[in-house]
Amino acid sequence: MYRKLPAMVLMTLLLFAIPSALFALSSDEIIEKMDNMATFDTTFSTGSIQTTDRFGTKTSLFKSWSQGKVDSLIEFTSTAERGQKILRTAGSLYLFYPDAEQLIRMQGSALRQSMLGSDISYEDMTEEKNTLDSYTAKLEQEEPFNQRSCYVLTLTAKTRSVAYPIQKIWVDKESFLVWKAEYSTQQGRLLKTMEVLQTFETDTRVLPKQSRIEDKMKKDSSTLMTIDSFEANPKLDKSIFTLENLTW
Amino acid sequence: MMKSLPKLAFRNIFRNLRRSILSAVAIAVSAMSIVMLFGLLDGMEADMANNLKSYYTGEVLIRNSDFEKYERYNPIHLGVDWQAIEPILKENAHVRAAAARINFPSSMYIGDDTHVVMGVGVDFANEEAFIDFPSLVQEGRLPEMGKNEILMGFALAKDMHLGLGDKVTLLSNTATRGSNAITFQIVGIAGFPVASLNANTIWAPIDRVQYFLRMDGLTQEILVQLTKGSDEKLVARQIGSEIEEKTGVVTDTRSWKELNQMYGMLQIAKIAYYFIAMFFFILGSTVIINTTMMVIFERMREIGTLSALGMQGSELTRLFLLEGLFISIIGSCIGVLIGYLGTYYMGKVGLDFTEALSGIDMEISSILYPKTSVTKALIIWAYATVISTLSTFIPSRHASKIQPVEALRYV
Repeated sequence: MYRKLPAMVLMTLLLFAIPSALFALSSDEIIEKMDNMATFDTTFSTGSIQTTDRFGTKTSLFKSWSQGKVDSLIEFTSTAERGQKILRTAGSLYLFYPDAEQLIRMQGSALRQSMLGSDISYEDMTEEKNTLDSYTAKLEQEEPFNQRSCYVLTLTAKTRSVAYPIQKIWVDKESFLVWKAEYSTQQGRLLKTMEVLQTFETDTRVLPKQSRIEDKMKKDSSTLMTIDSFEANPKLDKSIFTLENLTW
Repeated sequence: MMKSLPKLAFRNIFRNLRRSILSAVAIAVSAMSIVMLFGLLDGMEADMANNLKSYYTGEVLIRNSDFEKYERYNPIHLGVDWQAIEPILKENAHVRAAAARINFPSSMYIGDDTHVVMGVGVDFANEEAFIDFPSLVQEGRLPEMGKNEILMGFALAKDMHLGLGDKVTLLSNTATRGSNAITFQIVGIAGFPVASLNANTIWAPIDRVQYFLRMDGLTQEILVQLTKGSDEKLVARQIGSEIEEKTGVVTDTRSWKELNQMYGMLQIAKIAYYFIAMFFFILGSTVIINTTMMVIFERMREIGTLSALGMQGSELTRLFLLEGLFISIIGSCIGVLIGYLGTYYMGKVGLDFTEALSGIDMEISSILYPKTSVTKALIIWAYATVISTLSTFIPSRHASKIQPVEALRYV
């Protein structure tokens, strides 16, 4: 009996270990799920961007449409920016200003410029949801955040064209929502942080309702981005995401 | 003997004329260079002062009290109220003219090309006392109020291959701390005296700039010209107090000299140049020292004879000093005269530094006009004469110490 004990222990361990190994997600699978949870066929939302800096607090209102992982359109509705639009299509980002006869194409480092003086860049606001195309993911550990069990992953950029060479993200193990993110340079200098403060549920998915973004390159500055209304998979005219339609 | 010393000294100059000419030329070249250098510096200083007062700050500049503190963040929203301040300025007896301006750095888009430019919003009709715009227009006309029109520096237009009728889109930060873009049409090409203004500025009607930058009637700065003889610092303080008293708003109101570090540096540089001038003369004087020493060794026989005949050592020193003095007077007279005439001529035709100053952001005109000054020319003449004469003192003293017996050995 005693001779069989080690074999039994081994068998028991295997019985428990094999299923957990079989069901454990790889870092790439976590990222894919994370992207899929944030991606809809189409969306329409309204919200606000509230920026607080050394000069005070400023609020801008917007309407936003998106389609799949890449296409998105944002239109500002608050008085100061009324009519200004940002269109993102595959590989390109365009700005439309009502008083300008020409569309402004943002490229290269210009994409990292602050949008409306906030802590959010044009690239942040319209980011594509295909993370694995640009980053290599590594699962570091699991730890709770906001009383939620999270995967902690480090994303390392594959190319130099991305805004943040290193990202450290806290992904909810159940909803695959990114609760927190730290964006750094290759040398580890912290550039920006993002933290989800409130969430809402739609179509069995959990999405951020309010997030706080802080550009660490700016002193005493933070931005609250709030989604006031959200509609998943509405019927959208495909021409919404074309340059021709941008100047409607 | 004492009375004949100057005559003797003067005659000695011609005994070795070539050496005397060499000494005089050394002093003349030094004096001429210094006169020209100071003329150029004076011209540069006057030009900078004029440009600063016309194009940058006026004689007094009024801005929001926090503007300078946050200037590097381009705080377009920190403006001043022109409508409220203009009547206060009109009541001030020291104020000759005032103009509102808005400076706004922008990205200029032409197709897919981007270029960073400095935009200036002005009321062209109200700028007479500061900038004579009509005389600067090389092509086209001045922009009109209420229209999206701009005047562009000729170098910028050339670099960007732009001409009259072309349109450019400007993207800039607004007073609401957002961004906005607007398309302007080029209706005029201007040639400014300052290279950086030609290379990167565009000038637009202030009302359109206020709309573009969402400034809600505010302006960024108010430039003030004062009546002749006004104490700029004192009047600036007085204007600041009046604005605070009547509007309850504290402004940053300062004179142009308090605002422009570059001008202050130029004035410090002038003091440094006075020392450089002194060393220049000392350098020139080494030629005289050398020549006088040669003369003394050459005339050793004569010195011995004069000593044997009863001439005192001090008289010998004075003889060579007088000789040096005459050469110095002649040399510095010729040098100062040539320098003065040369400066006068350059002041008329101007010195073209367009190539050298291109790409340099300095408030100095591309063509500089050196300034002549009779007072300065006379000071330089005296300065050159005294230093050159004193430099002959060293070898002259040597002559006085020569013993007659020793000198007569050369016989």
